[in-house]
Amino acid sequence: MIKLTNIEKVYRTSTIETLALNNINIDIKKGDFVSIMGPSGCGKSTLLNVMGLLDEPSSGSVEIGGQQVGKYRDKELAHLRNQKIGFIFQSFHLINDLSVIDNVEIPLLYRPSTNKSRRDAAREALEKVGLSNRMKHFPTQLSGGQKQRVAIARAIVGNPEIILADEPTGNLDSAMGNEILNILLQLNAEGSTIIMVTHDESMAKKTHRLIRLFDGSQVS
Amino acid sequence: MIRHLIKLIWNKKRSHTLLIVEILASFLVLFGVMSLVTYNMGNYLKPIGFEYEKIWTINFSSNQDTTDVAGKMNLLYRKVAGYNEVESATRMSGNSPFSFSNSNTGISYKKTHTMSDIYNTDEHFAKTLGLNLIQGKWYGREDRVAKNTPVVINRATRDALFGTENPVGKVFDSENEDKWRIVGVVDYFKGKGEYTADKPAIFVLMDGKSGWEKTILAKVKPGTDANFEAKMIRELGAMAKDWTVEVTYMSDQRVNQHNFSLVPMIIFLIISVFLLINVAMGLFGILNLNIARRREEIGVRRALGATEGSIKSQFVGEMWVIAAFGIFIGLLFAVQFPIMSIFDLDPVIYIIAILLSVFIIFLIVTLCSYYPSRQAAKIQPAMALHEE
Ligand SMILES: Nc1ncnc2c1ncn2[C@@H]1O[C@H](COP(=O)(O)OP(=O)(O)O)[C@@H](O)[C@H]1O
Ligand SMILES: [Mg+2]
Repeated sequence: MIKLTNIEKVYRTSTIETLALNNINIDIKKGDFVSIMGPSGCGKSTLLNVMGLLDEPSSGSVEIGGQQVGKYRDKELAHLRNQKIGFIFQSFHLINDLSVIDNVEIPLLYRPSTNKSRRDAAREALEKVGLSNRMKHFPTQLSGGQKQRVAIARAIVGNPEIILADEPTGNLDSAMGNEILNILLQLNAEGSTIIMVTHDESMAKKTHRLIRLFDGSQVS
Repeated sequence: MIRHLIKLIWNKKRSHTLLIVEILASFLVLFGVMSLVTYNMGNYLKPIGFEYEKIWTINFSSNQDTTDVAGKMNLLYRKVAGYNEVESATRMSGNSPFSFSNSNTGISYKKTHTMSDIYNTDEHFAKTLGLNLIQGKWYGREDRVAKNTPVVINRATRDALFGTENPVGKVFDSENEDKWRIVGVVDYFKGKGEYTADKPAIFVLMDGKSGWEKTILAKVKPGTDANFEAKMIRELGAMAKDWTVEVTYMSDQRVNQHNFSLVPMIIFLIISVFLLINVAMGLFGILNLNIARRREEIGVRRALGATEGSIKSQFVGEMWVIAAFGIFIGLLFAVQFPIMSIFDLDPVIYIIAILLSVFIIFLIVTLCSYYPSRQAAKIQPAMALHEE
């Protein structure tokens, strides 16, 4: 599903050069649930962004669903992100000026769709995460756990094959965190391929596979 | 997507109120200016109807002299018309073409009533100013003996009073005299210049006994110069002692009238340019703030599948929605003008003015938002979403 070969990512500013990813080789199969762990600043987010086509590696190749994306331009990358990938972030990144259901609809705005089909899909996604009674609320009226469930609904509304979650429970207490993990496990059981960054060993244990990073390199 | 943008703007309308009010104000002023411009241009496109090159306006003032003014005016006219350099000359009331004086009266025929400009003049007026007769004839010496005073009307009077009927030979009522009889119809006559309306006008044959008509228009031959002008003023002054004689070129008077029509338009234009600059700065401000504050949103949208192009269109589109709000409120006012025929203008003028104003505002909004929106689209999503 996702194949990274010899990935390197260097951040250059005028004063320093940071090697954020160093010789990464990962092959993730369809239906996998992979967790990524490592200390802060070791390159986990960078790795996820490379997989999610939000950031370009300095060298190496990225394959998504068998397609080499190295030569892809903005339009094709955006199309792939829209169709194949759902993102979940530590700080939710909901748009506060839009209601819950309008937030969830966003990915569908970037593909051909009708108003009604968007509404229906958004409602269904919100039902899946148990928030169908909060559709008209605004993000500021929700708890952290609820916000993250909205974000998950937004990530799955377009039926992507891959879900990338960057510390999805990082801002939540353990009870809410476990709720989120259970939703992700359920989605994985229904066929989604999931890659999740986490700091929580017990959560990582519930996934199929663990990748450890240290200073930009894979250590296991 | 449009529905999405409308929601987005509606949900935070409060932070956009100022800009919406600014757009509303510019729209209203622009609507005023465009109405004026459309009105003036619409007038401009119609022919002025008479010649003004090589025509001198000679104004006499009898000052304290009250003895036989009419007789002296007749002599003065004969003197002017007799010069070799003068091709043709005519006498008329003080409201000569491009002058700043007016004279009008109410006229009616059967049940129809209208207001018309009144010019008192003589047999030589049409020839001197090159008027274009479309029906009947200009009055001549023989018409002086007729029972009802002969008049020539213009096309606008005919259309207002008689519609499609042939008015030649018809007798109608005026407020200041009992009956007038129409002998001819001239085409256009815009007495105050190209930018004024082709209003109803009536040329009344003067009787030559009152001495009211103290303006002579003289068409001079090509090449006539200031030497002749000085000689003429000297000789006319000698004939009418204690009178004042004043010669102006009709082409100069025309320029004065044009300034008179154009200055209000220019003042309004300056005001609207000023308001539009305000709108443009408001737009820049909001967009720059938006882009700084909404980096996160830009990042998420890109992650969820937005292309650079769709981010750019979103930001331009949001400004369009804001402009549409302001314009919509403005339209509620603007449409009253054609609906209620305010200022008695053709509704088409207002409709054209509305369309022009809407177009200009959207054009400015697009121009102002294009560059900042492109900057927004260039933001790297990974950077925008970066969290420590
Ligand atoms: N846009 C960037 N510019 C420069 N350096 C960056 C940028 N993004 C990340 N880095 C650096 O790359 C390294 C990896 O960052 P990141 O992937 O965010 O780590 P993690 O998510 O594991 O905490 C860090 O040293 C970070 O400072
Ligand atoms: Mg991180």
